[in-house]
Amino acid sequence: MANISDKQLMKELKIKLDERSKLENEVKMLSGELQIVTQRFKESESMKSHFISNISNEIINPFTSILGLSKSILSVQKNDWKKVVSMVALIHSEAFNLDFQLRNIFVAAKIEAGEIMPNIAKVSVKSLIQSIIDSFNLVARKMGIEVEFHFNIEYGFGKNFYFKTDSEKLKLILSNLLNNALKYSYKDSKVIIKVNYDEDVLSICVQDFGTGISEKNQQIIFERFKRLDSGINSINRGHGLGLSIIKSLLDVLDGTIEIDSTKGEGSTFTIKIPESRNIVDSFSGDGNDLFFDGDDEIF
Amino acid sequence: MDQNFLQHFLYPSTLFASKEPYVIKTILGSCIAVCFYDPVLRIGGMNHYMLPNWNGNDLLSPKYGNVAIEKLTEKMLMLGSKKENLTAKVFGGGDLLSPDKSSMHIGERNIRVAEMMLTEYKIPIIASSTGGTKGRKILFDSRTGEVRHKFLNRSER
Repeated sequence: MANISDKQLMKELKIKLDERSKLENEVKMLSGELQIVTQRFKESESMKSHFISNISNEIINPFTSILGLSKSILSVQKNDWKKVVSMVALIHSEAFNLDFQLRNIFVAAKIEAGEIMPNIAKVSVKSLIQSIIDSFNLVARKMGIEVEFHFNIEYGFGKNFYFKTDSEKLKLILSNLLNNALKYSYKDSKVIIKVNYDEDVLSICVQDFGTGISEKNQQIIFERFKRLDSGINSINRGHGLGLSIIKSLLDVLDGTIEIDSTKGEGSTFTIKIPESRNIVDSFSGDGNDLFFDGDDEIF
Repeated sequence: MDQNFLQHFLYPSTLFASKEPYVIKTILGSCIAVCFYDPVLRIGGMNHYMLPNWNGNDLLSPKYGNVAIEKLTEKMLMLGSKKENLTAKVFGGGDLLSPDKSSMHIGERNIRVAEMMLTEYKIPIIASSTGGTKGRKILFDSRTGEVRHKFLNRSER
């Protein structure tokens, strides 16, 4: 070891100390960041666990009823057909609910994975909406709600009105809207569905006369996992994904949604979807020659 | 670029990565597409996001830059890439509206998110064409990592 003077020693120590305090600062900064990340993680974790408790109700309740009902059908006396019919109707409505909710969850997962894309076809809007109304018929009848359907599009005599869009996504959007409208309606009221078409834009409005949404709450209902009546006392079932799915699906279709609601008097949801121009067709296949005309850059 | 390759048209707020060789195409305005290429495994992937950061409300979808870049990185790692092998090319982020009107500067903010996240992930940006006032058409060959790029005139959209 070489002899070093006091001065050199002090200098050396100072450098070491500086380095140390620098590192300490860095550690402080990093742990601060870590705290923020942990906080965010906690929030998202609590949302997720809330979601999971919602979802397990959503899935397990129908399954329990389906299992119980089918078991009691097995033990019914052969001549007691009336009992069986009512139980089968219950099984059907539970299975329908399950199917609807699972579809929603899978679509949400697909949107989050970035795998959702429009699948455009000519859609007969009238029969699509009619089929949705039919599928919710049992639920509506049970609650004594009448679903009115006004199709305000004149389209030649005896012809069907076709609209270029994604039928599966439109179906899920409208099912969710109708499901919400029925869920938040009072008994023995009605739900009105109106369809209009103006300059290549299809607008569908779903109106209910139920609980309504206050202005403040209208801002947050589109957030995922958010439900206005979440908590142990909530009367209605649901996972809080419906409206956020609607919004994401409308993004895919270039559509918009508007709410008009007064608390206590009901709400009207209006969606507007432009007719699809089917961008895939115009850019695949022959569209390639545009890339080979010499002036495209290569990276 | 061979016409016989499988093609994928990448829609906004989606992402795509595959072990098979693909030609991935997309059209960009103020959106950003980040192309990841792994020269070791010779595979690639691309995302197409519209807005810079997730607002915490909507579904956690790759519509948002911070989500899209994270998910594409995860996907590349899942396909077997190593993070230190990945290279990135960034395109888009144009201001298609007249500059004085677009007070939101979505394009610029989108570009910044890409730069920040890729620096954080230590993935080098080896090529980019961002900003400007025009839209872009992109063709990405996931086997070679080559990107063909063409500006769109405003009248075309």
